[in-house]
Order: sequence, then structure tokens, then C-alpha cells
Amino acid sequence: MNETQAETQTEIALDVPWNVVVHNDPVNLMSYVTMVFRRVFGFSKEKAEQHMMEVHQKGRSVVWSGGRERAELYVQQLHGYLLLATMERAI
Amino acid sequence: MNIERDAEGGFIFSDVEASLAAMFRAIPSAADPEGSKAALDRLFPDPAAGKEAGLSAEWADYVRPELREGFENASTTVEADLEPLNAGEDGWTIPRDHIDAWLNTLNQARLVLASRYEVDEADMNRTAPYPPESERTLAVSQIHVYGLLQECLLQNLE
Repeated sequence: MNETQAETQTEIALDVPWNVVVHNDPVNLMSYVTMVFRRVFGFSKEKAEQHMMEVHQKGRSVVWSGGRERAELYVQQLHGYLLLATMERAI
Repeated sequence: MNIERDAEGGFIFSDVEASLAAMFRAIPSAADPEGSKAALDRLFPDPAAGKEAGLSAEWADYVRPELREGFENASTTVEADLEPLNAGEDGWTIPRDHIDAWLNTLNQARLVLASRYEVDEADMNRTAPYPPESERTLAVSQIHVYGLLQECLLQNLE
């Protein structure tokens, strides 16, 4: 692989969007999870409740997608609120 | 137990029954995950679920200490607020600007207890009585009581 190819691949890797995923947890209260979504992402009450119900019923919800740095920041905030959150490559 | 709001939006708890007072006094110790790998793993989960080794390592070095400090600060705030209860009074006050610390510490305590005693969804929804006098029964009761207090704080925040 030449230098130009390596640089291009690095740029592609940096551009890959990341998903922030919140996973179900039998302990966290639904009202608490809703409050956290509203605070961290600025969701409306309705949107926060939709994601909370998706977590509860399907076991996980993708709550945000975008650049890696911001995804890390969101996961850190969610961990600060003690939600079970991970980040994963969107593709 | 009586619950009132003060003029600044804080909460005043009074006439707390002895059994409940004992549970509330135990919040800071219940929130301490030390000695339980399951509890530590739950309070400090891997952000990449084991799929990004570099990210997990950086997280452990740089983010985890910050998270730990935040959790400990919240727990220290709660411990200080509980001082009247520890001194034998039948109540205590949660100032408005301590509510987030309380929500956080109550959540820490509930998650640590659930991890230590392997409490799952079935336990949380169980309606049949638990075996009396066991540590696990007490832990499940604590999780529910702390959840009720969290719910009370949350409902009154809106």
C-alpha cells in the first residue's frame, strides 16, 4: 500500500459514522432513562420516551449517529448517568 | 414518612420509620462497588463491548477515573445530607442543588446491589414473597425502596 492509499483509508476510517447505543437494564427506572435522554441529547419528551421504550422492548436503541469524537463524549455522559451505553461503527 | 418541598425546591423528609431510616442510612455503603467485579463492571462498562481494543484501553486510562470521581463526589454529597439521620433524627433534607447527586447515588446503589446479588428482571417484577431474613431479600427491598425515592425526586422535578 502506498502513502496516498494509506492516507485515504485513514480518512475513510475517520469519516465512518458511529452509533451510540443504549442497552436494556432491568434496574434503571423508565422515568430516569427518559430524563437522561432529554438532558444529554435535548430530545423532546415524546422522542425520549420512544427511545426509552425501544430500549425496554427491543433491548437496545440507537440514540445518536455521527463522528467518533462526539460519540465518545455522549457515551461518557451516558455512563456518568449510569446508563448501559456503547458505541459501534455504523457500517 | 412525610415528604414536603421547601421554598427553594428541595425535599424535606420527616417521620421516617426506623426500618426505612436504616435503609436510607445504608445508601452510601450500598453504592460502593469495591470487592465486586460484577458491580465494578456495571458501573464502568466497556464503551465498545470488547470490539475496539484501543478505545477500551484509552477509556480505562482516561475516562474511567473521571467517572469514578463523579460517582464518589455524588455519594459524598448524599452521605453529608444524611448526617441528621445518622445522628438519630427522624428525617433529613435534600437541597435543590443536591438532587442530581441523589439521583446518581441512588442509581449507583441500585445497580451495585443488583450486580452483587444477581438481581434480574424476574426478581424486579416478582410479586411473590421472598424468603425472609436473607441478604438477597434485603437487597431486593433496598433496590425497590431506593427506586421509589428516585421516582419521587424525578416526578417532582418536572
